[in-house]
Formats: sequence, structure tokens, C-alpha cells
Amino acid sequence: MKDLKHLIFFEDLLQEANNVLVQQAQQEGKVCVAYVCENTPEPLLNLPGAFSARLRAPRTGSMEVATYYLTSFLCEYTRALLERAMEGGFNFADCIIAPDGCSMMNRCVENMELLQALGRDKPRFFHQYMEIPMKADDNGLNLYTLQCTNHILKPLQEHYGIDISDEAIRRAVAEHNRVCELIRAIGEFRKSDPAVITGYEFHVITLATYVAPKYLLIDKLEETLEELKTREPDKKSPFRARVLVVGSEVDDTDFIKLIEDSGAYVCGDRYCCGSLPGRDPIVLTEDEDALTQICRQYMLRGQCPRYMNTDKMQGRREYVNKLAREYNADGIIYEQMKFCDPWAYEKMLGAHVLREDFGYPVLAVDRPYAIASSGQMRTRVQAFVESMEIKKIQKGEQHG
Amino acid sequence: MSKKAKKRVFSILWKILALLIGFFVVTFTVYIFNLDMKLTAAIEPWLLKHYDRIPRDTHL
Amino acid sequence: MAKEIGADRLGDLYIDGGKVRKRREWRGLVDTMYDYSRWLKIMTILGKFVMKPRNVKAMFRYRWMANYLAVPMMVDRHTQGLRGEYLRMCHVEQDLIIDDVAKLLDNLFRGDRRIGNDTEFSKKVVLVDENEMTAVMMGFPMLKSLSRETPSTYVSVLLNQHAAEHYIDVAQEFGLAGDVCPMPEAEAGVSIDDDAPVLGACAIQCNTTCDGSLLGNGVISKRLELEDGIPVFQLAAPLRHREDDVQEYAAQEIRNAIAFIEKHTGAKWDWTAYFDCARRVNIATRCRQEWLDMNRTDYPQVFGSNLALYTETNYMAICGRIPAFEKADRELTRLAEKAYNARKRAAKEYRHRAIIWGVQSHFYMDFLVWLLNCWGIVPLTDMLSMVSTRVLAEEDTPENRETAIYDMAWLTENMIMRNRTHGGYKVLLDELWEFCEMFNADMVVLWEHMSCKALTGMHGMFEERAREKGIHLVWVTHDLFDPRIISRQGVRDQINNYMRTVMREEPLDPSLEILHDEESW
Repeated sequence: MKDLKHLIFFEDLLQEANNVLVQQAQQEGKVCVAYVCENTPEPLLNLPGAFSARLRAPRTGSMEVATYYLTSFLCEYTRALLERAMEGGFNFADCIIAPDGCSMMNRCVENMELLQALGRDKPRFFHQYMEIPMKADDNGLNLYTLQCTNHILKPLQEHYGIDISDEAIRRAVAEHNRVCELIRAIGEFRKSDPAVITGYEFHVITLATYVAPKYLLIDKLEETLEELKTREPDKKSPFRARVLVVGSEVDDTDFIKLIEDSGAYVCGDRYCCGSLPGRDPIVLTEDEDALTQICRQYMLRGQCPRYMNTDKMQGRREYVNKLAREYNADGIIYEQMKFCDPWAYEKMLGAHVLREDFGYPVLAVDRPYAIASSGQMRTRVQAFVESMEIKKIQKGEQHG
Repeated sequence: MSKKAKKRVFSILWKILALLIGFFVVTFTVYIFNLDMKLTAAIEPWLLKHYDRIPRDTHL
Repeated sequence: MAKEIGADRLGDLYIDGGKVRKRREWRGLVDTMYDYSRWLKIMTILGKFVMKPRNVKAMFRYRWMANYLAVPMMVDRHTQGLRGEYLRMCHVEQDLIIDDVAKLLDNLFRGDRRIGNDTEFSKKVVLVDENEMTAVMMGFPMLKSLSRETPSTYVSVLLNQHAAEHYIDVAQEFGLAGDVCPMPEAEAGVSIDDDAPVLGACAIQCNTTCDGSLLGNGVISKRLELEDGIPVFQLAAPLRHREDDVQEYAAQEIRNAIAFIEKHTGAKWDWTAYFDCARRVNIATRCRQEWLDMNRTDYPQVFGSNLALYTETNYMAICGRIPAFEKADRELTRLAEKAYNARKRAAKEYRHRAIIWGVQSHFYMDFLVWLLNCWGIVPLTDMLSMVSTRVLAEEDTPENRETAIYDMAWLTENMIMRNRTHGGYKVLLDELWEFCEMFNADMVVLWEHMSCKALTGMHGMFEERAREKGIHLVWVTHDLFDPRIISRQGVRDQINNYMRTVMREEPLDPSLEILHDEESW
């Protein structure tokens, strides 16, 4: 396929946490709100005068110092973030908001605070920790809204004078929704076979919307959407199967690339930093305050395994089944970052249920934060692709 | 109490005492030489084999 | 074979590579006879237990029941080297816990669909987690709150260091990563291996200590709720438990849990029973504080693994619901005061005053006894014993009924372990040094449970702070339930190496320095 016009631009945004658009927005006087977990409602971090940047540590190398502080038993994402923070790589942030989504992320940010790794020469810098619900119910919603008020809105207003009115929140949601609509429209092209966008390209574009100010991306996203409408797919598809990737945080585009290089087209991205459900628009009505509506939708759609009520647990597997059908997946790859407790369990249960109860071929893998060109992972994905092909042949089908 | 009755009571008491002493000697021997634990330690491998043979509905 | 404390070479009692010891300790006539009498009592408890056919049936059905063969040895491990009041205190605690666990097992098997199948009894049973604060059951005296995980995994590993290995392997065979905490992993393994009793009107699960614990419950509830048809309520206790803005959420969770239990059992919350329990909780708190006050002096009395184990049982599993524990609290206090007034000590020499922090190695709970006997390190208190000291409302008034909801929420949030491993670094990191000062400790023995992410996530900061404060920090790494990762000797070696190379000391009892107990129960 012909290269996407803005792909290199999007890829460049992922080379550094402090990318050109972050710098541009800060030069425009906007406050950079760093965050580390999908359970932090993004529109609240993107109120007029502020923008969000999901922290990641691109091109991670040694994590030795962070490993000293956190030990080698904490997931590499948290270690990579702490290492990068100590190197001064996140000094651009004006504050950081971290929910107690998992113990490791909490400890990572606490270490940043104790080591004073962020906020150098920023007297108004603040760290905030949030309690977030573990069940999707009315009580959880009350907690969520209170926590967002106390640990996002009030600190932003007190430290930086950000407007936290209902009207401001609605404006932020409108901008957020515009980005979501564009991403989802781009993502729709993955449903066709052969598709006019690769899973890798889509992951790069989606990831850019997490790490760069959204308002500065809209024009490029619009152009990309238009470009895709007329993009011609390759005559002979390099892919031998379609897979849905499900699991923990993936901000490493090489991982998706590796899967696709092994012959599996990534047609769906049900992982943290992916578009499903991370780029679902937030529907607001006028009969209730925007904050409550945002929190409710984050809580109800959240696929994080920390949600522990039975309905939510069952719902996570049904959601994966729904996506697999919608995006015509031949198989599912359940992935977890090594040492991630929540996804270790969810991967085991999800892989089992999707295989036994829903009948999908499932590959369950754990992976490092930065996969580079892991031969082991490549072999596993290739073997998975072959097994799916054999199954297809046995069913008398042919994949085009 | 007649002499015969007294003798009978003493005989019973002696028997009880002998039983108690016997009980003490046996149980204290078991206690101090840890014989109870040595016995159960010998039983455990047999029990573990038994558990391996039980059919189970092992699944998630 | 001596009456005096510390005169024996305790290591000589071990058989190299053996499962059990050569013989029991001779502690002088009076103490030996006392210990013997308690052994007889334990044998009576066990004898009564096996008299019931259903318990024998359970013995042959559940793999973890084999561990209960080792009950007397667990007591022996904890009473090692003890004399006088210390021996008696240990027995008061251990014997009561044994009696309580025997009753728990008996009740579980009575209601178990596979064993006793007493359906009427089962309707009165509410299942609770192993590591769960049972505060929410304080007002349900007509119901039985039973934990399946307590006897199958928690107590089993106390009895037999290898007890959880089979279940850990089962969970991993089903694809669970090997780096998660082995405790919820083993609990999940029990469920997967179809080795948990099935009973109860409903179950209350809780996000007890960690992410692993929370997610492990998902494995259990899948089978419990979806296959066995036992409704499950997940009680979500906030993690940032010191914050004011989570307390209403926590309180509402308690209200919801009570309503759930009432709905599924038909029982009604009893405020009189609740306040009775609250009064007993307050007594337990006062006693514990008194013991800790003594431990701040040169004559600590109730300390070590007994303090930890007893506090964990009494504070969390009992929660004022069983009057026998109030009696034990008072008896322990009486014995402690007696020994304190006589200026007694539990070992022949106290060299270092240590705070034991972190999550203890469950397969080696008697390590603290070893620490005292081998190196003269006094474990003044431990992280698991530094729990809530809040006084609960104990008078039944309309205002207090509302306060009580918040009290139960507070207790639930402040379950053992999670009250330190969660809630921000202040409760885990900062307060440790405050306790060091309070207890005049010169050493911190820091259990590093390697797969406890909340704990190991503060590793570097612990070291930095210890250096700043000039306190000896000794890391003792382990994997909680799995001695195959780090053995008991591996645990001991970490202390041995520090004491010899850094402190340049010789052991009080050299026979204990290296023990070949890897095959031992």
C-alpha cells in the first residue's frame, strides 16, 4: 500500500514523551497534565487551558536504577517510567495524576514523588493520587465523581486557575469526542478484508492521540481519514489471519509490528492505549452534570481487570467476543506485560473462556515492555497463525 | 466400711492408679519421643498417593 | 536438656533431611509437664474431630487435609526454647487457634454438599475470604461465617511448608503467570483443582490485600457463583484508607454487604450482638496496646510470631465474635504482666531490638522464634500486628449505629497487611521509622515477599531511609507460600550472613545456624 501521508509525523510524536506537539502546546501557555492509567477520565485533563499526556518511555534501554528502587518484580512499564523520570525525561509535565489502578503504578508514581523526579523548577507542580471504583455501581459512581473533583478538578483550578465549570467540561468532551470519532472512523477500515490500514499504522495514530495534545492532532487525523477512503489495498495481502489483541498496556508499536510481520493482521486493539473502548465517544445529555456522566461512562465501559464484580468480569469476556465478531477476527491474542498481576489473572481466565466457551483460537503470551525483535514472540505468533490456517483448511475455507 | 469392702476400694483405686500411670507412661513416651509425629509422617505419603487417585472436575 | 532458658542446643533436635524432629524438648519438670498437658489437650481436640465420620470422609476427599497431621508439630515449632510464662502465653494462643480451626473445619464439612450435606445448616453459612476482615458479620450471630481458604491454604502452609505447592502448580498449569503472589494463586489452585468445600447461602469476597488477591477472587467466584449457584458479593474496600474522601464509599459498601447477606439468608442484623462484638474488639485493642507498650521497654513480653499469628486471627477472623478470645486476651495480659513485673526475658541474651516489617514468610512463621534463639534478635513487633487502634462505638444508640457502619468500614479498610501495603507510602515507609523510634529499635528485619508488588515497590526507599537513620536494615527475601523459591535455610542464611559479615557476631545457639529442614513440615 502507498504510505500514509502523515505516518512519519505520527511516528515522530512517539519517539519522545516531550514531543513537538507537547512543546507547542506548552509554548501556547497550556498546562501539561501527565497521567499513567486509563481509569483517569481524559476529558477532565483536557479542560480549556490544559492538555493531557499519557506517560510512556519510548526507546527504553537500561532500567537499572529504577530496578533498584522498584525491584525486578515490578512490571517493566512502571520501571521504565521511573527510570525515564529520574533521567529528567518527564520534566515537561506540570502535574501528575495517578489513580491507584494497580499497586505497581501507584508505587512508581510515589517513587517519582519521593525522589523528586518530576516538577523541577515548577513551583506549582503537584502529585495527586486517586481512589477509583472497583465495581460499577451507584456507590462506585459517587466515589468516582468525588475523587475526580478532589484530585483532578480542584487541584487544577487551585494550582493553575483552570476553569472547571460544567461548561468547560462539556467543551473538553466535545474536543475529546471529535478525536474519538476520527479514530473510530479510521478504525472502521480494519473491518474490511483486505484492509486499507494496517494494525501497526492504526496503533501509531491512536497512540499519538494519548501522548499529544488532541486539538493539535485533529487536522492530521481528518486528512488521514480522507486519505484512507481512497487508499488501495495491496493486491496480495501479506497477512494469513486476522487477530484481535487483548490485554494490558501496549504503548510499544513494535509489538503490533512484530505480530503483523509474523503474518497476523491486528484487526482490533482491546488493550490499554488502544481504541477499544478507549476511543469511544462520551455521550452527554443536558439533564445531568457532565462530570457525573463522564465518570459513569468511564466506569461502565472500563475493561480494566481491577473491576471485580461478577457482571463486569463476565462482561469483559463478552466484550472481547463482540469485538472479535465485529472485526472478523480469526483468533485472539491475550497479552500481559510480565509481572502484571491483574492481567496475569485476566489473561488466564479470558483465554480459557474465549477458547472453551466461545470457541476462538487463543494465544496467551506475556511480554516485556519494549519487545524489540523478540525471536521467541515471533515464533509463537507464527505458530499461532499456522494453527489458525490449519483449522481453516480443516473447515474447508480459504483465506484470501 | 468392712475390711473386705476397703480392700475392694483399694484394689479399684490401685487399678485406676495403675491405669493412670500406664496412660502417663505410654502417652509421655509418645510425647517426648515425638512418636505421634513420626507416625503421621509415615502416613502422609500414602495419603498423598490416595489424593492423586481421586477423580476431580479440575477446571477454571 | 535443661530447665534454664537458652541452655540447650535446639538444633540437635532436628533430623537432617527429616520431616519431623527427633524428640520433644525437655524444659525442666514443671514446664515439660505443662507442655505435655497441652499436648494431651491438642490430641483430645484432634481426637474429637476425627470421631465424626464426616470429618474422616473429608480427610480422604481434600488433599489439604493431610496437612492437619502436622498440628502438634506446628505448636512445637512455635514453643521452641520457651519456658515459664512465654511457654504458657504461646499455648494460650496456639491452642485456642487450633480449637477454632477445628470448629471451622467441622462446620465446613457439616454443610459441604460432598460431605455432610446438611442443607439447613448450609443456609445459615456465609462464606468469607481468608484474608478478610469479618466485621460485616458482627451483627449476624445467628449465621456462621466460614472461610474455605483459611483451612485449605492459610493454615495448611502454617502446618506444612510444602502445603501450597500442589495448588500453585495447578494454577500455573492453567496458564497463570508464576510471578504473582502465591497466596491467591494457591487459593485459585484449590478452586481449579475442585478441592474446596461447597456450601453456603452466599459469599462475601473482598479486595483484601492486593491486586492478586482481588483477581484471584475472580477465579473462585466464577466457579462458586456461576457453577455452584452461591451468590457472591464483592466488597470493595478503598485502598487509600487514610483519606477522608473514601470513607463514605467504604461505609456504603458495608451497608450494601449487610443488605446482601440479609437478602440471601433471611437473617436480620442484630445491633445488640454487634455492640457486644465491638466491646470485645475494644478489649482486644486495649490488651494489644498494653503488650506493645511493654515491648517498648527492656522487657518485652508478647512478641514474635505468636503476636503476629494471634493478632491476625483475633483482629480479623474473630473480630469480637467469639467470647473465648476475650478470655485469652485477658489471660495473655495477666501472664505478660507477671513476667514483666518479674523482669523476665524469653532468651538468655537480648542483643538487638528489631522491628519486623513487610510480609512474613508464611511457610516459616516460626522464623521469629529462631531469630531470638539463634541470634538474640528480639522481634519487638511486626507489620501485621501494627493494625488499627481505633476505639469502636460500643453503646447502642441511634448515633452510634451510624458510627458503627463507619467503624466496620474502617476495620475492613484496615485489614492486616493491606493497612500497610496500601494507602500510600506514609503507612508503609514513613511510619516504620516512627515505630523504630517508639520501640527504641536498632534493627529492622524487612521481609521482602518478592511477589508482593506493593511492598517491593518501596525497596530502594527503604534502603535510603535506613541509611539516613543509621538503622541496620536486614532484607529477608522469600516467596510467601513457596519454599521451592527460597527455602527456610535460604531465609536464615540472609540473617546469618548479615550477622556474621556486617555485625561480626557469633550466634547464641550455633546449632541453629544451619538446619537441614527443607523436607520438614
